[in-house]
Amino acid sequence: MSIRDCAMQSKAFAALKDVYDHRDAEAAKWRAAGKKVIGELGCDVPDELIMAGGMLPVQICADPNRPLVETDKYLEYAFDPAVRAQFEKIVDGTYYDQLDALAISNSTDVIIRVFLYLREIHRVEPEKKVPPVAFIDWLFTRHRIHQTRDEFVIELFRQQVEEWAGRSISDEEIRAAARICNENRQALREMAWLRHGAEVRIGGSEALVIIGAGLFMDRAEHTRLVRQVTEDARSWPVLAGPRVFYTGANQEDTVLYEKMEAAGLVVVGEDTDWGDRFYDRDFNLDYPVIRAIVDRYLLREFSAKKSTPAQRKEALDREVDAVNAQGVVFYTNQYDEVATWDMPKQCKSLESRGIKHITFGRMLWPVAKNEDLDDKLAGFAAELKGGVR
Amino acid sequence: MAEEKKAPGSRSTVVKKLKATKTVSVYQKEWFFAMKDRVEKEQCDFAILNADVPMEIFRAMDIPFVVNQWWAAICGAKRMTKKYFGLMQANGYRPDLNSYDAQALAESFDPDDHKVDAEGNPMGPWGGLPKPTLCVTRLTGDAQNKIFGLLAENYDAELYTIENTQARMTPLNWYELAPDRWEELYDTDRIDLAVEELKELIRYLEMKTGKMFDMNKLQEVMDLINEQEGWYRKLRDLIAQCHPVPVTVVDTINAVMQAQWQRGTRWAADHAKSLYEEVKALADKGEAAVPNEKLRMMWLGRGMWQDFAFYQRFEEKYGAVFMWSMYLAMGADAYIRNHVEEDPLRALAARFIGMEDFLHMPPWNSSWFLQQARQNDIDGVVYMIPENDMQAVEGSYFIKKVLEDAGIPVLAFHADPVNPRKWNAETMTGLVEDFIEKRVIPSKESKQQK
Repeated sequence: MSIRDCAMQSKAFAALKDVYDHRDAEAAKWRAAGKKVIGELGCDVPDELIMAGGMLPVQICADPNRPLVETDKYLEYAFDPAVRAQFEKIVDGTYYDQLDALAISNSTDVIIRVFLYLREIHRVEPEKKVPPVAFIDWLFTRHRIHQTRDEFVIELFRQQVEEWAGRSISDEEIRAAARICNENRQALREMAWLRHGAEVRIGGSEALVIIGAGLFMDRAEHTRLVRQVTEDARSWPVLAGPRVFYTGANQEDTVLYEKMEAAGLVVVGEDTDWGDRFYDRDFNLDYPVIRAIVDRYLLREFSAKKSTPAQRKEALDREVDAVNAQGVVFYTNQYDEVATWDMPKQCKSLESRGIKHITFGRMLWPVAKNEDLDDKLAGFAAELKGGVR
Repeated sequence: MAEEKKAPGSRSTVVKKLKATKTVSVYQKEWFFAMKDRVEKEQCDFAILNADVPMEIFRAMDIPFVVNQWWAAICGAKRMTKKYFGLMQANGYRPDLNSYDAQALAESFDPDDHKVDAEGNPMGPWGGLPKPTLCVTRLTGDAQNKIFGLLAENYDAELYTIENTQARMTPLNWYELAPDRWEELYDTDRIDLAVEELKELIRYLEMKTGKMFDMNKLQEVMDLINEQEGWYRKLRDLIAQCHPVPVTVVDTINAVMQAQWQRGTRWAADHAKSLYEEVKALADKGEAAVPNEKLRMMWLGRGMWQDFAFYQRFEEKYGAVFMWSMYLAMGADAYIRNHVEEDPLRALAARFIGMEDFLHMPPWNSSWFLQQARQNDIDGVVYMIPENDMQAVEGSYFIKKVLEDAGIPVLAFHADPVNPRKWNAETMTGLVEDFIEKRVIPSKESKQQK
């Protein structure tokens, strides 16, 4: 168990853990109060717009224990297994009962395909209990014409959100929501100082819970709890062990991090959307609102899915340096493998700077299905401590 | 390219008769060596383009190029696949990911690419690609940035990417709207953006190569493409109405696919005309590719380059003839854009933004496959779903559903079109035989009884 007693004794942490463990609960409360809930698939749906419309954004998540009855019917097996499990809940009626609509951003190829499939299901099998779907057709190439196009795309999405909200949404409402999101990001950054700094008082698993709860609850309340946890964590014991950075597949739960921590590794950062990338870059309140949204989502650190190997090499170097990691854990799931194109050059760069790394490729999902993971992690920890793997 | 040989069990009498197939094979080799010679002598820019890049701009600007997927087929035919798998692995890359698209990348790791062996034979395919200065792709898949980014790094070339947008408007009859009414086919803002992308590409190429783009030349290229694809349309329609068909996919895939990469040239338009006339002459004589034609089969997916004879294994036993593939039909339906003179760039934009979607996006692919199955009186569909290539994942459920709902049996299976290690001819033949016996023949008999 990597989440320590000191964390569980914090009322704020316990509250966040409760949301993290019971991800449908806050959404159910919102809907019971007559308010709308919008699901998000992909990491580039602008929360600011949904919140400005008075609705709760919640991230679509997988259930690792659910048989993929519907998914096996519709999706080819070459899909990312976590997305396959997410798809099951979208198509089997679960999210139809929990959401008012689903917003999908084209954050990966796989998710674009999911959108196309859901649109087609709506057309050819309209009786199927699938929530209404909207797609955000971001372009991630950092050129002026694509920035302009993205502003058009986000304006379209704003109109869609207005339709869901049943009213127009003013620029001021968007700015107000953006302030809440910026405050939330700032609170998470302050929390992360206790993880990224020389003295690590918040472990990787604990951080995943703290950050991840924000994907399922009211953002202002999340900020309040994060600030309280940060205060509490200042007195938590310092974690000892080799500092590692995690890159690769999104981890929707803490299983892998707990394994790393059980091996003696201290996970001080990650580049995933359920981790540190969630609070990267603010909405610039001085910009026109649509441009500010584009600026925030287009110019975050490069994701593995929408960048070149050279961009990703530089990104990883920056991120590893920022948290002073001694080692890097690369981890990709079978069929979620685009990041593997980046790794050879990333590894070379790390090696040239004396940073050790370990690669887990073609991993089964969920994490627990992989039998020899613990031994390999223990070996890596020993290597980082000066032993031989 | 596949070797032109008959498979055991084939009764085809046409395979070796088509001059157009041989002509294009000879021509592409001559063309490649002449182009390579020019690049090396002139030390001029040379580009590798992904298949969905608007090559028309490069043609109009006289910038030498090869198409990545065409070159992958050459590498496959020259038996480079095994060596390239090893090179990818040795350099830390997964050899099984996007293997069709990564052949040129694998070649870029080969230190022997431009060498000759002890007997004086070139070690690289056709002596290897000239060194590219430009690597250009469209971002139609997450791996495109990766493969072309690495290719550019390895060759010290420049990477240029063109973005890809998703259709909001999806009229099912795209094949009817595409030639003349493309403004009704696409969201206007998507075409507008694609035109701007073309202008940016042109400006970039002008700066890079020192050559000026000429709109009249583009119009000429576009007109030649319309002429070429018009012949394919006539050919597709001719084959569809012939019972029995005079040629099979073994003839048409190579003849059309190889010539497609030369589109926009006088040679390619003339070749398409000669192909049509040759097949028309066979049809007029009543010649049958498979004299006992009983079942008309559709092939969905990329060409089976490592085992082209596969298509012919069912001819003698069942009279089953693979007579439809996307290669000819895409030429017939996807490329033609009339009235180019009104706005050549917009016409080109209206061609390239749909190309991937026509094939890989439901409902455009599924509705077209059904329309084509009906036009060609198809009795059964064999559908190869590629492994490890998300770009080619295309809603197989919906494709199968729409065809089977219309009473056309479908066999769907997974394979890798360039990896012979994952292809077991015996197993696959058994699978198709079982499909023919248990699904296609009963379905046909049932229809005949009705």
